[in-house]
Amino acid sequence: MDEFLQKLNDTFIVDDRWKYLTNGLKTTLIITLFAVMLGMALGFIVAVIRATHDKTGRLKVLNFISKIYLTVIRGTPVMVQLLIIYYVIFASVRIDKTLVGILAFGINSGAYVAEIVRSGIMSIDGGQFEAGASLGMNYNKTMTFIILPQAFKNVLPALANECIVLLKETSVAGYIALEDLTKGGDIIRSVTYEAFLPLIAVALIYLVIVVGLSSLVGRLERRLKKSDRG
Amino acid sequence: MIEVKGLKKSFGSLEILKGIDTTIEKGEKVVVIGPSGSGKSTFLRCLNMLEKPTAGSVIFEGSDLTKMSEKQLYKVREKMGMVFQHFHLFPHLTIRKNLTLAPVKLGLMTKEQANESAEIMLKKVGLYNKAESYPNMLSGGQKQRIAIARSLVMNPDVMLFDEPTSALDPEMVGEVLELMKQLANEGMTMVVVTHEMGFAREVGSRVMFIDNGVIAEENTPEKFFAAPDSPRLRAFLSKVL
Repeated sequence: MDEFLQKLNDTFIVDDRWKYLTNGLKTTLIITLFAVMLGMALGFIVAVIRATHDKTGRLKVLNFISKIYLTVIRGTPVMVQLLIIYYVIFASVRIDKTLVGILAFGINSGAYVAEIVRSGIMSIDGGQFEAGASLGMNYNKTMTFIILPQAFKNVLPALANECIVLLKETSVAGYIALEDLTKGGDIIRSVTYEAFLPLIAVALIYLVIVVGLSSLVGRLERRLKKSDRG
Repeated sequence: MIEVKGLKKSFGSLEILKGIDTTIEKGEKVVVIGPSGSGKSTFLRCLNMLEKPTAGSVIFEGSDLTKMSEKQLYKVREKMGMVFQHFHLFPHLTIRKNLTLAPVKLGLMTKEQANESAEIMLKKVGLYNKAESYPNMLSGGQKQRIAIARSLVMNPDVMLFDEPTSALDPEMVGEVLELMKQLANEGMTMVVVTHEMGFAREVGSRVMFIDNGVIAEENTPEKFFAAPDSPRLRAFLSKVL
């Protein structure tokens, strides 16, 4: 018991080592939050471009670019993308690593969000477009006021899940020496030569956040279902 | 009001409409009947260009819709109400919003004007108390009456009905037909694709039989039902009456 307490003390208390975890958590949350925002924005734009092309045949060039984006991003590991953005694209520029993280994970997430939102748009009955058109609303107005609100509601749970996935994916940020939560735990391990406690602590923190977010998603889904029943 | 000349429509190699010529005058109530797959719904959908004709022209209030840009078409559709078989109400909006969305977003009315107009129409269709409900809380008949009200808010010159009662439970057909009858009596120009022969007989000023992509016969309802000319119509009527 004494030995365990000693280890706890060494791992978290000595030299304020717990700060590696709290600062890391802060970085992880910041990257996740802004990457989610970037991903949602990118994803919605790409989804609308793709759906518009599929439905009307317009936006050929943008659709082509979107398809390349989706293929490249979904066809390569997020870690490789992160390394390329940091060591290749921003090789000669001094840039805040957190920003690099936000960019890399946001651009990555955008591709997955795009496909989620596109499936939501495609799932809306074509009659909704016709109803809009028959009232004199053009494609853009119908899309904005009739289709997207319904599509968004349908895919909200899937989008929330994408946020959870993104939170966990940011754990590879340490590869560009970003001190996120995972890296924080790893730093403690490398100074104390004690792996169990810091890594388990890191895992627990992720777990608590994910379980918390998941229960929020569950509550959201139940609420959406309720409004469907009226 | 609507002049149709040589209207043809093909889907791929399948020719649905093989040349339709007819004129619909202001105030007329044209009822279109015919077997499934005859092209009657396609004909109706060509009138407001939801389907683009392959050949021929549709002249509405003096201008040829087949030669118009998309932008002009949307403007024209404001004046052509359409009621669908499956209602197509907007499920994410309250009934009030369903009615006011188009006129407000198109800049035709202010929010207040649209609300006022919506309330008048909701009273007209007898569903004023449902203004704050959502579509999925209504019965099929109520949904269709709302869909009609939604079109009426736009103050259309003509109303197109695409099998408005076909998706309804039998006990709800009456309330929708009753409302359509009321509209007809108020002088609305109507084109109705339906299987309701009683409605055709009672409300129609002209009944049109579309078979195999052409108007096989058209006449006043009295003559249409009492003395059908073509053997094809006689066979059809003997099956449905």
